Amino acid sequence: MIIIEALYTEACNLFGDRFNMDYLEKSLGSRAAFCYTSLNETPRFVTENVNMLYMGPMPEREQGYVIDRLRPYTDRLRELIEAGTVMLFTGNAFEVFGSYIENEDGSRIEGLGLYEGHAVRKMMQRFNGTFLGTFTDETGSQIQTIGFKSQFTHTYADNSSGYCFQGIRGCGINPETKLEGIRIHNFFGTYLIGPILVVNPYFTKYLLRLAGAGDVTLAFEDDAVAAYEVRLKEFNDPKRRIG
Amino acid sequence: MIKFYIALVAAKLSVLGCKVLKNVMHRNGTNLPGEIALKICPGFLRYVGRPETIITVTGTNGKTTTTNMIADALEMTGHKVLSNRAGGNIASGIATCLLNGVNLFNRCRYPIGVLEVDERSSLRIYPYVQPDYAICTNLARDSCMRNAHPHYIFDIIDRALPEKSLMILNADDIISSSLKKDNRRVYYAIDKQPGDKTESFNIINDMRICPDCQELLTYDYVRYNHIGKVRCPRCGLHSPDADFRVTAVDREKGLVTIVHGAETETYPLVSESIFNLYNELTVVTFLRTFGIGAEEIRRALADTQIVSSRYKSETVEGIRVISTMAKGWIAPAVSVVFDFVSKLPGRKEIVLMIEDTEDNISSSENLSYIYETDFEFLNKPEIENIVVVGVRAKDYLLRLLLAGVDREKIHCTDRIGEIPQLLHFEQGKDVHIIYDLHQMDAYAQIHKAVTDGIKGGRTA
Repeated sequence: MIIIEALYTEACNLFGDRFNMDYLEKSLGSRAAFCYTSLNETPRFVTENVNMLYMGPMPEREQGYVIDRLRPYTDRLRELIEAGTVMLFTGNAFEVFGSYIENEDGSRIEGLGLYEGHAVRKMMQRFNGTFLGTFTDETGSQIQTIGFKSQFTHTYADNSSGYCFQGIRGCGINPETKLEGIRIHNFFGTYLIGPILVVNPYFTKYLLRLAGAGDVTLAFEDDAVAAYEVRLKEFNDPKRRIG
Repeated sequence: MIKFYIALVAAKLSVLGCKVLKNVMHRNGTNLPGEIALKICPGFLRYVGRPETIITVTGTNGKTTTTNMIADALEMTGHKVLSNRAGGNIASGIATCLLNGVNLFNRCRYPIGVLEVDERSSLRIYPYVQPDYAICTNLARDSCMRNAHPHYIFDIIDRALPEKSLMILNADDIISSSLKKDNRRVYYAIDKQPGDKTESFNIINDMRICPDCQELLTYDYVRYNHIGKVRCPRCGLHSPDADFRVTAVDREKGLVTIVHGAETETYPLVSESIFNLYNELTVVTFLRTFGIGAEEIRRALADTQIVSSRYKSETVEGIRVISTMAKGWIAPAVSVVFDFVSKLPGRKEIVLMIEDTEDNISSSENLSYIYETDFEFLNKPEIENIVVVGVRAKDYLLRLLLAGVDREKIHCTDRIGEIPQLLHFEQGKDVHIIYDLHQMDAYAQIHKAVTDGIKGGRTA
């Protein structure tokens, strides 16, 4: 049985992201133990090894709370990353693991410093977008990945040797790059929001294999794949505004 | 100031143009005069004449109904009121409204202004049009693309409103009730009602944690999303005590009892829905605070009708066809419709078409919001058939399956003409059409397909 820990879902669920966990629960059934840790609890990963750690996007104020809560466990998180624990942090959640978040007035919120890079907030400039990219696994197999973005921030980092998706349409971690996300071993930080594991079934299957769940048939897999295929066609359609 | 007067005259002339547009071409140019005024003179709102007393109404839900009810009630009690009830609520809409209230010498002809203000536009409006009374109905999740999240909108309104405004606030909304903490304020709330829950039951709840200590909040009652009475078991933070409280609702007699201070007053219940009860309470709280007598308010409310353009019920060949508009993209609003439809008595089948057709032609719609929407409400035995219409039908199918709805009950089509073949059309089984606010053409086609299908003899 694998252990999947979702951090702070009471605060980190801005775009229906909680369904990422619901979908895994429905897909894995008794093959996984799910642990939902709230802000005032000690995370499970602190005292035992978990197979997968997840956190979704949150309001800006909550980013401060999350950094405060996780800071005492920075070394443990680094250890887990080095050990290859699967981590998925979506939307602005991954920013808390970077060097800092810069506000419009130039002030900074120090991050956990687990990767070199910082986010810049522009609170009166909402960035909305769509994204089509390619995920390449260790064997060289490629999966087309689709998603949506809605954010006040962009991240500035050299992610050329560690990104999640090579963008085909839409921008990466900032408008100047096509490289989407930050990847360190099995740490996946991406600006894609919402139920990305529901809308990207092949990527989800890959992630579950990586987490040690083996080959999993997802809940309603045929239906999820059918919906994904329709959307993939749209995202690849040059006549459509994607990006 | 020369720029301002040029803007005033040009915008006044454009008002005439708008009337022509409306009468001859049947097109609405609601915000155009204001747009012209702001284009010529960006500081137009600073200089334009305004009523002596300004009341603003903002909030995610209920602001239009509340604005209209307040303006109507004030007029019925003999006040001359300037209001943007038929116009826009962004800066250009407010500019248009104020423009209509002044003469060419920039003198305002109205002593009172009741203005609906778009939350996101606060920073462009409140610095210039400063309300004496600022009403906020609630702050809840809206379009993530425009409004991000309620705490973001809270910060915008909080920054923009002046210190002088008397705040009229909903104590049952722990988010908006914290606006302008140092301003004078009056709170209202609805006491615990039969059927209220004590556990949050929607997917969306934007106030699960205490803002002071981040402990999980406890609800004494919760009505929907985060609307209810909360307290923090750790630090003691709690919903504010209300000055005006609905203590009883008598739906049979159509009466609502409101207590404030030592007064217990009874008013006609203008609508049975909880949302309109909040709207009515907001109106009474404001009017009583403003100094209007209870009897005058009773008379005004007795003549008030909330026209729902969002709900239509008709009977076709013995089958009830009920159309309900949902504000697509806004998960709480769609959830409310699902909850409402699912709780209506009797067996039913549903035609669901809430996708954004335009977005799905030019791009590919962001469907995150359907995973914030409580499709679980549709998982009821009385809902025997769900026909999902549109190019996103496969996404909705998956969402419904994940909500626990039996596959046998769900049918998908991207062709409106096929809908009648997928419906049962049985006597005693209502047909509900749930459609998006922005898809009126598609709705008209669906409605025709359904009613033609019934008339065409496809009834069992």
